[in-house]
Amino acid sequence: MSALLRIENLRVEFPGATAVEDVALDLHENEVLAVVGESGSGKSVTALAVLGLLPSSARAAGSIKLDGRELLGLPEDELRAVRGARIALVFQEPSTALNPVERVGWQIGEVLRAHGVKDKRERRGRVGELLEQVGIPPERARDYPHQFSGGQKQRVVLALALAADPDVLIADEPTTALDVTVQAEILALLRELQRTRRLAVLLITHNMGVVADLADRVAVMRDGRVLETQDVRKLFAAPSTPYTRELLASVPRLGRRERTERQISDGIPAFAVDGLVVDHPGRPAALDKITLQVAPGEVLGLVGESGSGKTTLGRVAVGRLRPSAGSVRLFGTDLTGLGRAELRVLRRRIGVVHQDPAASLDPRRTVLDSITEPLDVHQVGSRAERVARAEELLEQVRLTKEHGSRLPRELSGGQRQRVALARALALEPDFLVADEPTSALDVSVQATVLELFSELQDLHGFACLFISHDLAVVDQIADRVAVLRDGHLIEQGPAAQILTSPSTPYTRALLDSAPIPDPDAQRTRHHLKATA
Amino acid sequence: MTTATLKAPARPRAKRGALRGGRGLVGVVLVGVVVLAGLLAPLLAPFSSQEQIPGANLLGASGTHLFGTDEVNRDVFSRVLYGIRIDLFICLVAVPAGALLGGLVGLVASQTGPSDVVAQRAFDVVLAFPPIILGIGIAAVTGVGVLPVVCVVIGAEVPLFGRLVRAATLKVRELPYVDAAESMGASRTWVLRKHVLPNILDSLIVQLALSASGAVFISSAMNFIGIGVRPPEPSLGGVLADAMAQLGANTMYAVGPLAVIVVLVLGFQLIAQALVAARRGEAS
Amino acid sequence: MTSYVLRRLPSLGVVLFVSSLLIFAVLRLVPGDPATALAGANATPDVVEAIRKELGLDRPWATQYVQWLGGLLTFDTGRSYLIGGTIGALVTDALANTLLLTGSALVLAVIAALVLGTVWAGTRKPWLDNLLTGANTLAVAVPTFVMGVALILVFGIFFPVLPTGGVPRDGLLANPSITFQYLLMPAICLALPVGAVLTRYVAESLRTELAQPYVVTALAAGVSRRRVLVRHALRNILPTSLTVLGLQTGALLGGAVLVEFTFSWPGLGLLIERAVTGRDYPVVQVLLMLSVAVFAVLQLLTDVAHALLDPRVRLGGAR
Repeated sequence: MSALLRIENLRVEFPGATAVEDVALDLHENEVLAVVGESGSGKSVTALAVLGLLPSSARAAGSIKLDGRELLGLPEDELRAVRGARIALVFQEPSTALNPVERVGWQIGEVLRAHGVKDKRERRGRVGELLEQVGIPPERARDYPHQFSGGQKQRVVLALALAADPDVLIADEPTTALDVTVQAEILALLRELQRTRRLAVLLITHNMGVVADLADRVAVMRDGRVLETQDVRKLFAAPSTPYTRELLASVPRLGRRERTERQISDGIPAFAVDGLVVDHPGRPAALDKITLQVAPGEVLGLVGESGSGKTTLGRVAVGRLRPSAGSVRLFGTDLTGLGRAELRVLRRRIGVVHQDPAASLDPRRTVLDSITEPLDVHQVGSRAERVARAEELLEQVRLTKEHGSRLPRELSGGQRQRVALARALALEPDFLVADEPTSALDVSVQATVLELFSELQDLHGFACLFISHDLAVVDQIADRVAVLRDGHLIEQGPAAQILTSPSTPYTRALLDSAPIPDPDAQRTRHHLKATA
Repeated sequence: MTTATLKAPARPRAKRGALRGGRGLVGVVLVGVVVLAGLLAPLLAPFSSQEQIPGANLLGASGTHLFGTDEVNRDVFSRVLYGIRIDLFICLVAVPAGALLGGLVGLVASQTGPSDVVAQRAFDVVLAFPPIILGIGIAAVTGVGVLPVVCVVIGAEVPLFGRLVRAATLKVRELPYVDAAESMGASRTWVLRKHVLPNILDSLIVQLALSASGAVFISSAMNFIGIGVRPPEPSLGGVLADAMAQLGANTMYAVGPLAVIVVLVLGFQLIAQALVAARRGEAS
Repeated sequence: MTSYVLRRLPSLGVVLFVSSLLIFAVLRLVPGDPATALAGANATPDVVEAIRKELGLDRPWATQYVQWLGGLLTFDTGRSYLIGGTIGALVTDALANTLLLTGSALVLAVIAALVLGTVWAGTRKPWLDNLLTGANTLAVAVPTFVMGVALILVFGIFFPVLPTGGVPRDGLLANPSITFQYLLMPAICLALPVGAVLTRYVAESLRTELAQPYVVTALAAGVSRRRVLVRHALRNILPTSLTVLGLQTGALLGGAVLVEFTFSWPGLGLLIERAVTGRDYPVVQVLLMLSVAVFAVLQLLTDVAHALLDPRVRLGGAR
């Protein structure tokens, strides 16, 4: 069988760097080919090269053939006829993929107009049909993007991409920005559209669960090259390159951790809230009557989807946000009515790790200066002692002294997050608040940071509020788990119990929605769902 | 502290580099030539600024009178050279004063809600008067002279710097690394000193260059319409205004001060552009 | 939408009220006795006393302020001591001239900004980019009046094709083609800096817009580059461009004073310049207040237009 889309010897160069080299991919009719890789592997650049949408500074060489016709070097107006009508693109971020000031119906209509549907009324009819196919009521064509939820927006983007009836759909991280339950819906829709339209799908993703869910074949990319291309079952069962093996091993999976029951002392809780309410006038409460505590030395995993209030709770925990009602205690001290100076004394015992490694370090300070900052603030010891302490911490997070003199931009994402961790531990805190500390990292990096985190927790014995949207990540770290939804505490309990036999349907749904990195298990799941 | 100062110069170096080539260099040269000409006016000027030369009425440009002479027999070139000094004086006094005052107000405004509201409304009121109109209002009270010009430049700069500092301070405070510092117990003054000030320094320098350009514009405009420096004291705008009546007789009379104003204003603009470009290049 | 506009009203009120207090204070802050200053050096004590009465300077400040404000609101603004006649009549005559000048300049500036801004953002030719960058820098930097003198030198003295200043003798409406000749240089002069700032804004925000994912979405679906630029992206930057234009009306008002002075264009700018050098305080006050009110109201109007153009504001519920 000859390929519908054939990429050979593709090489894309940017001034001063080669993004993609010697890439070869074959995409057949009615097939889902997943391209997996971590950031910087060149998968998105490959997609843009196929559509001829690389930035003007980029140079592409090699061959990209659609039905035997060379696309590279085609004049703009001939490429334009290919885009949308033969090959379409769906993007990662649905919130910015649509024009904010135009009605969604008009935007889909623009695609029809570009491909020769001149009659306004005909366009309107086709737009309605398209919206219906992606599960959006046709009358919503008159609404603006901001009136849709994230998942609905991604449906609209799919309708827009499919408007001119393409044969090839390039889906670039189509579900990465979505919550797991919404991700499951969009994956189901993608699967259905692929089947009914016999689409050839080039699925670009970093998520092995999504690969297992959708793909027929998989190409693994790293540093701009394709390492291997395999049937999906073969890849998961017997990966042929060490990198793929490592990649698969890094993916956090539920229930893989061997639990050793840890001794949690029952002294005064490091952090406790009772009847906590946080609300902003005119909006539903961000947090409603939350009661929970973190015992000394205990790791509480706080789980929830976006808008659940988990970050708000994190801000309350470090005294950055005052509750509207209820009490907040840190190490037994009630924060209500505490003055700024008294709060600062308490904060000496707290460490904080943020989500975004790029923004959590001051770009002008060296790594060493960032780590000593908490010591400088609280004037702990002499300058020499602070530097010595920082160097000791660098070693603990597996960086060297030499890293100390570098600036954050000279470090990788994982290294920066380790520096942030070292800074958080500088004052030997009794309580650490970590808000999605690994969600901006690639899986292999995430795995090492999580491992390091566990080790440091064993070493220092701090209590921790570990906030995450990823149940599998929480499973590796937490002693207990609390589940938040729309500002309400759904349930809490020992990690093993919540993550295997939850007592609420919502937690069950969360567990079931996350695709498992195992093609056979995913297929069984779909089968079960279909028969149920 | 010492290590920070030792290891930080990666950025300032890029900044200074911005003025070593291209637009930045052209800007520095343009401004530098005019500033030198103004400073060295007593050495360079062939005549004093108010000396009336017998028989030299509205002469055209020549070797002795580079820009010719005016309707009361004074050497235009000498008047322009001395005229530069008053504009530079206003630039050097009023712009930093306005920047300092505005910066402080902006800093205070960013600290508490009520002070913010008051400062914002005050800025609104000042900005409701375009600079020239503000100048007319102030000149109506004080009478013409250098004082209203200085007041207007300060008045125009205060809300600009105030808003800039306020916005930048609030933005920096939202950054995760500042949030982390505050969560670990850093005080407000610590955050201001260690994180906010170094961060807004770049935009302040750019705004200073833009404001210098604006100040030359305001002061020459006020002198031009006759509500600035009192004649016969020379100023760039004043000489240009006098030349308006004699355009047919001595062209260089108008072209001279005109060229100097353009060179000065353009020079500051180019410096600002080069600084902005350097910062962008660094960010990417 | 209504609430969006209503929220802006208090700040508009504060600006107008505080400005009116400040402008009212102008007359009181004049060193010495304002009545003597107004009457001129050779006036008899009787005349000075009459002026004091007329301005109500013998009454308490609060009463004077209320009276002055009441006069402004009922268009009964007193008379000019320097020029003679009622201030109302002076202002009305000059207003027509100023409106013609600023209106033409505004139209020129907006058209130039939309056309040149779009070309600048869309061009992939380095020479065109450099040309536009250079021209823009010049237009932003060179002060209005300097440009005015330069234009007069070139087109009025070296190549005398256009009148160097003033207005047609038979009035503006008598012969449109002659009026056009008189209007051309001042209008271009006034439009240049405003248009240049606006052009730069349009070009820069269009470039930012072209990097947005929705642009790639549209391009990837086959919409042409030209249509994405002119129809999708340009439409998106209109609301914020309007706000920038609203702020630029301040530069337009200030610029009008300079341009009218340079070209002897008998508008409000020339009037206020004469009034301030002639120490005719009541005229200065009325014109200052007019300028502030026009600026403030234009701000509000551009805010309303912004809200109408942006569905996220119009329909609410946006982040």
